[in-house]
Amino acid sequence: MKTLTSREDWPLGVECAWPAAMHATPARAVARSKMRRWQLWLAAVAFSVSLWQLGQGTYLQAKAWLAQVLIRQAWARTLEGEAQARPWPWADTWPVARISVPGRDIERYVLAGANGRAIAFSPGHVFGTPLPGETGNSVIGAHRDTHFAFLRDVKPGEEIVVEKSVGGTRRYRVAGAEIVDKSETRVLAQRLGESRLTLITCYPFDALRAGGPLRYVVTAKAI
Amino acid sequence: MNTLTAVISGRRKLMLVELVAKVVLAFAIGLATSIALAGIVLLLAHDAQAAELQAMKPKEVQQGTLLLKSEGATLAVPAVATDAEIKVSGIVARAVVKQTYRNPYDTWFEGLYVFPLPENAAVDHLRMKVGDRIIEGDIQERQAARAQYEQAKSSGRRAALVEQERPNLFTTSVANIPPRGEIVVEIEYQQTLRYDSGSFSLRFPMVVGPRYIPGAPAEGQGAGKGWSPNTDQVPDASRITPPVLDPAKHAPTNPVRLKVVLDAGVPLARVDSPYHAIVQRETEGGGGIVELAEGSVPANKDFELTWTPAASHAPQAALFTEQLGDKRYALLMVMPPAKEVAAARLPREVVFVIDTSGSMSGSSIAQARDALELAIARLSERDSFNVVEFNSYAKALYDDARPASAANRDNAVRWVRRLQAQGGTEMALALNLALNGRENPGRVRQVIFLTDGAVGNEDGLFKLIRDKLGDSRLFTVGIGSAPNSHFMSKAAQTGRGSFTYIGKIEEVKEKMGQLFAKLESPVLKGVDIAWPGAVEAWPKRVPDLYLGEPIVVSAEFDKLDGDIKLSGLRGDTPWSATLPVATAREGRGMGVLWAREKIASLIDSQRDGAKEEDVRDAVVEVALAHHLVSKYTSLVAVDKTPVRPKEDELQSGAIPTNLPEGWEYGKVFGELPQGATDSLWNLLAGCLTLLLAIGLTITARRTPVALRRA
Repeated sequence: MKTLTSREDWPLGVECAWPAAMHATPARAVARSKMRRWQLWLAAVAFSVSLWQLGQGTYLQAKAWLAQVLIRQAWARTLEGEAQARPWPWADTWPVARISVPGRDIERYVLAGANGRAIAFSPGHVFGTPLPGETGNSVIGAHRDTHFAFLRDVKPGEEIVVEKSVGGTRRYRVAGAEIVDKSETRVLAQRLGESRLTLITCYPFDALRAGGPLRYVVTAKAI
Repeated sequence: MNTLTAVISGRRKLMLVELVAKVVLAFAIGLATSIALAGIVLLLAHDAQAAELQAMKPKEVQQGTLLLKSEGATLAVPAVATDAEIKVSGIVARAVVKQTYRNPYDTWFEGLYVFPLPENAAVDHLRMKVGDRIIEGDIQERQAARAQYEQAKSSGRRAALVEQERPNLFTTSVANIPPRGEIVVEIEYQQTLRYDSGSFSLRFPMVVGPRYIPGAPAEGQGAGKGWSPNTDQVPDASRITPPVLDPAKHAPTNPVRLKVVLDAGVPLARVDSPYHAIVQRETEGGGGIVELAEGSVPANKDFELTWTPAASHAPQAALFTEQLGDKRYALLMVMPPAKEVAAARLPREVVFVIDTSGSMSGSSIAQARDALELAIARLSERDSFNVVEFNSYAKALYDDARPASAANRDNAVRWVRRLQAQGGTEMALALNLALNGRENPGRVRQVIFLTDGAVGNEDGLFKLIRDKLGDSRLFTVGIGSAPNSHFMSKAAQTGRGSFTYIGKIEEVKEKMGQLFAKLESPVLKGVDIAWPGAVEAWPKRVPDLYLGEPIVVSAEFDKLDGDIKLSGLRGDTPWSATLPVATAREGRGMGVLWAREKIASLIDSQRDGAKEEDVRDAVVEVALAHHLVSKYTSLVAVDKTPVRPKEDELQSGAIPTNLPEGWEYGKVFGELPQGATDSLWNLLAGCLTLLLAIGLTITARRTPVALRRA
């Protein structure tokens, strides 16, 4: 094994390897080198695509978990009385509640609005349903591969605690889970005199791509 | 040779190691960059000031219901088909709306149909047709009418009941429709037409857009069959929320045929129907007949017919009278001249409010955004402005109004372009932000409110407007295919402004142009009418009139002789006019219009503090005298003989309505959130392409070595 001492000995990669082909007969060498060039270009393209995809995949996850830091700070400000405390200035959403599952050491901040922009950062509260902790059916949506991945393991009887933005907490007990089609708006329905939490995420949990028609719905009733 | 191979293979190993190292390095850099970027973005964000957006206190945030109480519409209900014939004569219209209830099932049915009428419709006749018999409806107090209807229903007799839920929203209940049979219900109403900016317009609404119901579920006034439970803010919510068909799953329903007999009394320059294709025929008397080109259309948007008198025939004044018993009634319309008055224009403060709730999603929000952009661009440098958007929450672009500099206008337009429609319609939050109840000396404060008015708590909002108006003026712009006309007109009246409608994107420029003309021209204030004799005139106080708006007053009197004298102030310039009573023409339905106007004024007086019992008694008295449906009186028609055998069951159902054209079902009734990212896919795709890249590189590097060996 040769030790690398001088700059010349350091294999500089792709370009430096080319002169090696000079030993072949010129015509074949040209053809070969052309082919290799194409191959290397292709490799470069594939490499860029892989960087882009890996970056994108990591970015989606990083966004989901790093944002929690800022949302936690915004939540602290909310509890101190600030209205619609935005986690960052151009955010079009703000924390409206904090949910925790004491038995699983899970803690999530719920943002206003369950649109794609909001739930990329944290679970989102569906507009038009009562705020979590209030009377009625409060609906919260989140991604199955980030904040609501834990729903897969949640069992009936487990306790969920909601901390409200106006202070105070409310406890819920998981009643059950079901798989529904996304068109089944009945899970959003309000019933007189009943308080519940409806947590919605996509199903199946292991699906590779987003956008499927099925939803996993966990229902918890106020204790 | 051996040593050479060893060197080469050593080199290859090194290269391979180096390649892998580079790939790992590149990946790590990519990873670190994306994490760092995300982190920097968020951390930077933390230090900056969140000054641009003003918000409500959490306690003021309310929740409401825009969601289904129970799932979907029951489809086993009678079908309804509507046939309307509207006769226009001059400035009034009389309409006969024929609703045919057909029962396609083998059981007996009761049908409930919630439908809209013009907000100033005076409903004064109900007829139930069974075969060739006609049963005339009676006017009664609401409770008594309902009791009579229920009694007839349970005893097996055919019956029809028309109740008013809102001035522009009615319910027909039809009991004991025989199996495979039908009952025809005819409703008649009279209305004053809108004359504005040189054109008359007739609006015939066809569908009640699903209303947002704020408040918490509560026991309310009776259980209707609607999709919403009653709430503390809308105690009759279950009565005004008929089931709505998802257009993605059901064909359009409730066909409407329409015929307008147009006798404008003057030569016309043009006749337009902006939302429906029409066919026109001339009649001998110089009038015309307008019908829908398609024959029948689904009830899913407003029909509008506008006509413009030829230039020299634009009406200046009109007086119609009618003798009813020992009383005479008059309808007076006077068009103040639109003279250019060179008044010193005060700087304006304009607050734009845009409804970004779920019901605006689709074509409505596009129209509203366009209108708003146009309005912002129109501001002058002397003006100041702000923009408020609202759905489940309300937020203002700026903490306070800012000068309409080019930079601020551009910033606002960019903000408006990004607005998306979703969520509830908490209109009170927006009104609280836009109206501050203050006086603003030295400037004119105008609030321009763009909405479809799809809410169920109108009365609460009118009260809020009244209490917080200060010296601001509120102008409503009704957006979309089926705006709530009651909200538009009454909110503008309470806000001492004016209202207009935009029903499609092509109208934005024209309609907003008319609104700008009103906003920028001096107002006709303090209009006083001196009648030559004792009259009871409604409205009691003529509202401020904007450019292109006429004075319209109804009066009851015994005898009038001489001249009616009108006066007022246009800006700082006095205006007056005289109209001899002798010019009056005989008309029909003036008494009903007077009674309708009186009822409207009485209901309004409740917001000014009048006691509900007093208002109720007064309304009942005038409504019974003039055979009018009102909040407190209903029309009921009952057949004499029972038809349903005692042992046969009667089923009941709310007739579903269409979703207004251009609306999005999921955005109105809520949709399940989508809860997944593509991150797993991205990571997998990334790994696969990375493997491909490595493979390609290795084979590319291996080839020369193999060559050399050969």
